[in-house]
Amino acid sequence: MDEYVGIPREHPESYHSFMYNHFFSHVDVDPANINILDGNAEDLEEECIAYEEKIKRAGGIELFLGGIGPDGHIAFNEPGSSLHSRTRVKTLAYETILANSRFFGNDLSKVPKMALTVGVQTVLDAREVVIIITGPHKALAVQKCLEGGVNHMWTLSALQLHPYALIVVDEDATLELQVKTVKYFKSIELVASSQGFGQGLESGEAVGKKRDSMLERLDSPSSPRKMGEGFLAAPGEGRPGVKRAVTPELVPDSMHERLPEDGVEEEKKVELGAMQAKEVPSLLAMHERVDSAQA
Amino acid sequence: MQAVISPSRPRTGITRLTGGLLVKNQQLIPADLWISSITGKILHSQQVFYEHHAIPDETVDLQGKILCPGFIDVQFNGAFGFDFSTVPTDTEGGMATYEKGLRGLNRRLVRTGVTSYLPTLPSQRPEVYHQTLKYLGPSGGKRDAWEGSESLGAHCEGPFISRTKNGIHSLQVLREAPNGFADMENCYGAENLTPSADEAGRRTTPIAMITAAPEVPGISSCIPSVTQHGIRFAIGHTEATYEEASTAIAAGASMITHIFNAMRPLHHRNPGIFGVLGKAEGKERPYYGVISDGIHLHPTTVKIAWAAHPDGFILVTDAMKTVGLPDGVYDWTNGDRWVKKGALLTREGSETIAGSSATLVECVSNFWTWSHASIPEVVRAVTETPAEMLGLKGVKGCLEAGADADLLVLDVSEEAAGRREVKVERVWKFGVLVHDARDETVGV
Repeated sequence: MDEYVGIPREHPESYHSFMYNHFFSHVDVDPANINILDGNAEDLEEECIAYEEKIKRAGGIELFLGGIGPDGHIAFNEPGSSLHSRTRVKTLAYETILANSRFFGNDLSKVPKMALTVGVQTVLDAREVVIIITGPHKALAVQKCLEGGVNHMWTLSALQLHPYALIVVDEDATLELQVKTVKYFKSIELVASSQGFGQGLESGEAVGKKRDSMLERLDSPSSPRKMGEGFLAAPGEGRPGVKRAVTPELVPDSMHERLPEDGVEEEKKVELGAMQAKEVPSLLAMHERVDSAQA
Repeated sequence: MQAVISPSRPRTGITRLTGGLLVKNQQLIPADLWISSITGKILHSQQVFYEHHAIPDETVDLQGKILCPGFIDVQFNGAFGFDFSTVPTDTEGGMATYEKGLRGLNRRLVRTGVTSYLPTLPSQRPEVYHQTLKYLGPSGGKRDAWEGSESLGAHCEGPFISRTKNGIHSLQVLREAPNGFADMENCYGAENLTPSADEAGRRTTPIAMITAAPEVPGISSCIPSVTQHGIRFAIGHTEATYEEASTAIAAGASMITHIFNAMRPLHHRNPGIFGVLGKAEGKERPYYGVISDGIHLHPTTVKIAWAAHPDGFILVTDAMKTVGLPDGVYDWTNGDRWVKKGALLTREGSETIAGSSATLVECVSNFWTWSHASIPEVVRAVTETPAEMLGLKGVKGCLEAGADADLLVLDVSEEAAGRREVKVERVWKFGVLVHDARDETVGV
């Protein structure tokens, strides 16, 4: 994801060396499939443009795995980097140069002053981002990036905008966080595992398929689903284990037609007898009814 | 995880040796080593990986065993019945037989873990030098692993040595050098003292080292000429005092041949040659050969020698053609005969030790048992230190990238009674596996 400018590729402090010593030399990987920025490229700008293009052509980054600096920088996106940045040449912060000098015989003049790095936006474009942070010296950065707002001074905070971000920390790295925050993340993890789903992310292919079939359905309203299909379908080969009474088809008819006509109905008629009007009384004036009562 | 590799990927000739302990920087380091059977060298794996996108054809799991550079023996007179200083008679086939014998020796020697050596000629008549030296010069130019062990140039031990410290060297052939370097050229042949570039571009001379006694007339003045020709000057078979030895070292002598043997012993008021191993202001300390066959030196003497100057300590065998042969009486040059009894080899009818019948790995085991030095320290005495002495630092005797891929897998064990044993399990020469003790089908 990043590399110093101007130090030999085989320098023990180069990122090429780091990746080779800690990863590539231990796994069976075809070197042709490895892409690391070349800090010794003749045209550094061209190298950066090419890198973004290569990412695009490979269909994007599936998983971005990284760490952060104590100042919350991700890759070499030092504090103050644009959160929309892309792969580019970056000047290192004085603090970073100081910190790195221990790898270069404590000689500041030997420490590279520039690096090539992917941008914050490059990271955010990855489908999944996993950041590993350990140690108390990075606890403040964790606090700023998790509990603070999105801020270019702590570039990792941009990860709050990423839908599939995972930050893996040890206890020490949480030292600056509120107890509430730590408990919250622990609790969601607990619930997730008790419910049998973890942090797994379905493959892009699977999600894409689901989305395509969904779109297809949304785009064709002329063929609505019939009642009794899908989830309400009768138990069959398709949905084993689901036992449910069949919902009757709706037959439009008038209420009275459904009333039964046998003996049961006779009794009901008797009960109802008193309520049923046999004759409609003739209409009389009020005074006529008064008179008859007096007589 | 299976890598996504196109099946048409061409073979690279690279072998990755993994899971072993590398003897490097005087430590045992768990690391991988990449070697090429095409260049015959140790590769800078990271560079090859990134730059050439090269992947090893084969990965060998060393299962925690020790991987070290191939051994170098700088004093080795012959073995398996072949003697560098015996010229076959015409009826025996002459030099054609000699050449054939030499090829056979190289192929057998490499299996013992000695991947390069200095074929050593004890004092001989000039004709012998003229006839044999052209076969004994550096032989690694072709970089052919199947030739077996490689000569790094001849070691001429004599004939400019002391008549009283001659050991088994025949007195009749010893010489002086009143005319200086011209006498050496007459004796060895000027062409054998002249450097040239070999096929690999390496500057070499047929003779790599000369052992002589600085007190022999004319010799001390020869030292600068010898070293200017790129040849090492070793002090040996000498009556030289501490002072004479110091002067010789100041003039360019850089080695002492089989220290303690064939020289004056250490005396507390006259430390002799051993004294030059002591640290002294403004004085270079030489390299020195030690025969740890259990016969030439007492174990304690070996330990003292090592403790005196570990950076210069080189184990040598001084092996004779009787190595690998049964006990008995054997003919040698100049009408002498030897009696071999185990590792002990004496001149017939005397107590004089006539070189050894030990292999270098046996000497390594002995030294390890006696000194309790660490494995890297022990290995260094037969790899890095002799390579440095010969000016081959970074080429032989180390596991650095760019060095020749002459490698050994060692099987080390500690046995009862404190005996420590080193065995050579596998041998690579120029990046090719040429011997595997567990598999007879491998090898030359």
